[in-house]
Amino acid sequence: MKFVLIPVLVVVAALRIWTRRRRRQTSPRSPRPWLTSIKSAVGLVAVREMRERLRGRIFKVGTVFILVVVAAAIIIPVLHNNSRQPPQKIGVVGNLPVSFRTTVESSAKGVGDTLQFVAEPSVKHAKVDLRSGRIDIAIINGLQLVIGHPLSATNSSVDAQLVLALAKNVGFARAVQAAHLSTSQSETLAAAKALPVTSIESGRKRAVDSTSLIGVILIFVMLSQYNTWILIGVMEEKSSRVIEVLLSAVRPIQLLTGKVMGIGLVALAQASLIVAFALALSRAVGSNLTHGTAPLVLVSTLVWLVLGYAFYSWVYAAAGSMAERQDQVQSLALPLSLPMIFGYVMALTQVSSGYPTTLLKILAYLPPTAPFAMPVLVGFGAATWWEFLSSVLISVACTVGVARVAATVYRRSILRTGGRVRVREVFSDAWR
Amino acid sequence: MWLVELSTSTSSGILYPEPMANVLHLEGLSRRFGALTALEDLTFDVPSGQVVGFLGPNGAGKTTTMRAIFGLTDLDAGVVWWNGGVVGQSERRRFGYMPEERGLYPGMLVGEQLTYLGRLHGMSANAAAAAAASWLERLGIADRAKSKVEALSHGNQQRVQMAAALLHDPELLVLDEPLAGLDPSGIDVIGEVLATQARAGCCVIFSSHQLDQVENLCESVVIIDQGRLVVTGRVDELATSGPRRLVVRVEGDRSGSWASGIAGVTISEVKGGVVRLVLDDDVDSDSLLALARGAGRITEFVFERRRLSEVFREAVG
Repeated sequence: MKFVLIPVLVVVAALRIWTRRRRRQTSPRSPRPWLTSIKSAVGLVAVREMRERLRGRIFKVGTVFILVVVAAAIIIPVLHNNSRQPPQKIGVVGNLPVSFRTTVESSAKGVGDTLQFVAEPSVKHAKVDLRSGRIDIAIINGLQLVIGHPLSATNSSVDAQLVLALAKNVGFARAVQAAHLSTSQSETLAAAKALPVTSIESGRKRAVDSTSLIGVILIFVMLSQYNTWILIGVMEEKSSRVIEVLLSAVRPIQLLTGKVMGIGLVALAQASLIVAFALALSRAVGSNLTHGTAPLVLVSTLVWLVLGYAFYSWVYAAAGSMAERQDQVQSLALPLSLPMIFGYVMALTQVSSGYPTTLLKILAYLPPTAPFAMPVLVGFGAATWWEFLSSVLISVACTVGVARVAATVYRRSILRTGGRVRVREVFSDAWR
Repeated sequence: MWLVELSTSTSSGILYPEPMANVLHLEGLSRRFGALTALEDLTFDVPSGQVVGFLGPNGAGKTTTMRAIFGLTDLDAGVVWWNGGVVGQSERRRFGYMPEERGLYPGMLVGEQLTYLGRLHGMSANAAAAAAASWLERLGIADRAKSKVEALSHGNQQRVQMAAALLHDPELLVLDEPLAGLDPSGIDVIGEVLATQARAGCCVIFSSHQLDQVENLCESVVIIDQGRLVVTGRVDELATSGPRRLVVRVEGDRSGSWASGIAGVTISEVKGGVVRLVLDDDVDSDSLLALARGAGRITEFVFERRRLSEVFREAVG
């Protein structure tokens, strides 16, 4: 948890120091009505955004849909694991010596399966039972295995593994028997173990892979959704001309900050709900999502969702202020989403490849791609707490810079109507 | 032509006007958009207790002026004063504004939207809700408080917009074309509201191209053209300003020949037996009356007031 707690504490402490220093610099200790009015205006705008978004059908349906997908992602693997439990039924025709029977049982145990022996009076009966599914495999007089359908080269199911193991091990037992070895020799051969295999990289749990995967997808889906809300919301205020009424009472930066905060809080609430739901469901059904470093990856996902939203929301708000029609928004949205898509695809690729590359480590320090890359690095156990903190601080610093530029673009563009505002025009003196 | 005389202000903005109660003072406003001059050294006052009509042809700079009051456009030069102080954000929160291009959240409920806008102007939630209900009642759309704005007719949306400008009891009301698109009853309602606000001490300025309505509603007008002030003054003074104009109808003399050749009297129009005369200052109207009587029975003899539309046309060419 130190990955998350330390950066959060540092950021909170830095913010407190910064606000205190600003207070000392800007005004005496007397009450500051302007500050109260700024806070109040930002709060009012944020509350309106939250209320309108939470009421919307898109939010309700979207949340339910995501919860259903998360539930499926947790429950289906658990059900799949549980479905291995029914024992394999082995039909036995003729005599099966005790030593062979022991070999069959140890073979089943080796592939993680259980067995149930069924006595078959004849080969004919065994074939009938195979066809009806009453037995899975028939052993004919310890000499031959009979199964329902031929094995394919790519079949890696437990059934296929068991058949192959039985064929090999029972055949080996027959060979040992035919060699007329002494008891001690037979026991030595029977006790033969496969050579241990070790890897030079540290081991990873499968659960972390799936958690990283879920986290990266969650970040991408939510950043796309909420930044689109920002983009469309700003554009609609401009196109509906309500912006002039609003800006006659509040400053552009207050309006912009309120909007970013309001939509951001809705995003954080939805993400927290999803994570809490995922953890609770995992615990309830016994999923391995709550084991190992998976909870850390989930919390890291939340942190980077917030940081990613904070970075991109200003960019999208500035872009929204330059458009006043839907088609203009679409032409702006594509280039804005490219760094996000790049980070997302790279992170997904790394999760499936199984080990972090240098490229992923670089992307984890770049604010546009860090929200996708850093949680994956955490999942791999390839990021120390100070690396995590460094990335957080870089992201926060860049977000402050981006917010300042975005506020300027917003202020200069939001009241300009009559077509899409070009970046060149925003920074030219003629259109201050 | 009247130009505002300001004893304490200059276009340079160096001298500060003396503090006055509820007076909006625009001083030397200038704004260029590329090669286009929107405002050029525009200076005028809007006193409290009056409804002031803000007139000018299309593109004269009315909307830019109104937006400048609210800081919605940057100025190349000039200052907007309110009661002797430069207008800032805290003053603007006490102003009411109805922009030319109407703007409300289309999908938001009328009552909630007004409450929200009231709160942005510093009202408490309860006060804003009560004021919203009161203004909707007064403007005749109380039953639409729970409707979405987009479900309202154009006229009713206009009334909601008006309520948004009024509900925080503003000290200054700036309305850009508030009468556009309203039916006669709507114009009556808005006119009554503006008069009431002005009587209560509010400064009211609104732009319009409906000059007859402006003449009925306003005590004063400001006329600008190409970003410059061309006329300002009280409507009744403007109506009686300039050379006296006399309308005379004499039975039996439809050509107005009785008036020709009189020193200081110019016949401006003869139409349908009615003769319009323009009199120099030294012309005695009693003498004219006697001359007209000599030509026949007088059925009309009246001094004509100048219509605002005439003042406007003369002012902007």
